[in-house]
Amino acid sequence: MKARRLAVPSLLDDPGIRRATTPERRFLFAVPPLAGHINPAAAVAAELGRRGHTVAWTGHRPSIEPLLRSGSRVFSAMEDDFGRRLPAIWNDWLGLRRLAALRFLWEEFVVPLGHAMMPGVEKAIDRFRPDVVVSDQLVLAAPVAARRREIPWATSATTSSEFTRPLADMPKVEAWIRDRMAGFQLDHGIEDLLDLRFSDHLVLVFSTGALIGDISFFPDHFAFVGPALGRCAPGAFPWEWLDGRPAALVSLGTLNGPSGERFFRVAADAVRDLDVQAIFVAPPGVVADPPPNVLVRAQVPQLKLLERLSAVVCHGGHNTVCESLSQGVPLVVAPIRDDQSVIARQVEAAGAGVSVRFSRVRPDEFRTALATVLADGPHRAAAGRVRESFAAAGGAAEAADRLEKLA
Amino acid sequence: MSDIPRMNDIRSEVVRMLIDVVGEDFLLDVEIGPGTTFGDDLGLESIEFVALVDRLRAHYGDRADFPGFIAGLDLDQLVNLTVGDVVDHIAAQERAHA
Repeated sequence: MKARRLAVPSLLDDPGIRRATTPERRFLFAVPPLAGHINPAAAVAAELGRRGHTVAWTGHRPSIEPLLRSGSRVFSAMEDDFGRRLPAIWNDWLGLRRLAALRFLWEEFVVPLGHAMMPGVEKAIDRFRPDVVVSDQLVLAAPVAARRREIPWATSATTSSEFTRPLADMPKVEAWIRDRMAGFQLDHGIEDLLDLRFSDHLVLVFSTGALIGDISFFPDHFAFVGPALGRCAPGAFPWEWLDGRPAALVSLGTLNGPSGERFFRVAADAVRDLDVQAIFVAPPGVVADPPPNVLVRAQVPQLKLLERLSAVVCHGGHNTVCESLSQGVPLVVAPIRDDQSVIARQVEAAGAGVSVRFSRVRPDEFRTALATVLADGPHRAAAGRVRESFAAAGGAAEAADRLEKLA
Repeated sequence: MSDIPRMNDIRSEVVRMLIDVVGEDFLLDVEIGPGTTFGDDLGLESIEFVALVDRLRAHYGDRADFPGFIAGLDLDQLVNLTVGDVVDHIAAQERAHA
């Protein structure tokens, strides 16, 4: 019930016409120990907090806490044994490619993570009493726990790869993944089986049709809200080094071992004789003797830097791709594993970039690809179209609107 | 197997296409045979696999039905897919359409 107004408000005087206020609600975010999956959710959670709602998190505390503003409420949900195995899991994962990586992802990460999180997520729900549970696509425990307690739940899809059915040409692999989810639900006493990657209440997708392709056939509870960008990562940058030539960022997200080092060396060779500047996000020492037009930095304030860039070279991580396109910066994508080749195909199909090989890329391949997207032509225009679509989609604010409606 | 010479032809054609896609200098210390896997042994990337299938289709035509071949394989078979599996498939399709 709304408070009664004691006087008729003036149209133009403060407070003027207000956004309809919604009562305070409680939202529980369940996330995997993966930074790329936490950051967009954190931007949405921050928006909900600004609107007066109460937000809490559940998952692997050591992975989550550094990425959230201090004072965020985190309910630990990770059995010690699985938490201790995480470094070994990352290490094994880095050695795998394509379908071997996909098999490993489900067998060694997603399903065991679901089991390891289950007791903690249920306890978090019982103690925090959320109105809505927001579950990352890779967290199987949260949808199951929410369904058992009959709480509405939303999916947070921090990569859009699942919305193009990337395994449509391998139906037995699609079925195998569905079998993993079926087994998990049966293990936890749910017999009315769902695809746990897609909530039947609300699916938040942090991209739009301008990049994904045709999305017209999705039902209304699939909300394509565009990227939810957080605060710019802090960090000093020698802005005076940028001399006005076209500048490109080369970033592989988290370092990908020896083949990542090779990639940076090839990139240095490729740009040496080009009239560009390049910033490599890499640990010091990866590129011995970088040419004068290459700057190697362990960290960069990426969102701020993007405003000055003409191209981005990356491995196809969804967040970096969407951050680049939200500034209209075209891409060269060198996919390594997981959803990255799917995202690379999205970028190419949208016309906003080209892809190159990762492990065996040659300097001339790299140079040709970079020169293609740097030319002020169709790729830049296509990246600009994606930028406009992203800006119109609403991002974190739209995601928060949709979550409020669900609560 | 009635047509071993044809099998050998197909094998060398497939190996040639694979070398073109990957690059000869990357395969100096690899002996490609029927048991060579696209995954573990060659580390074929998605872009390279797509390029290989394009070449196979261009050479052997739609009758070779690679989409149908891939669709029929389960996850373990796809992870462990070998050069010999592809050669056998092409040979079987040729016999079926002979």
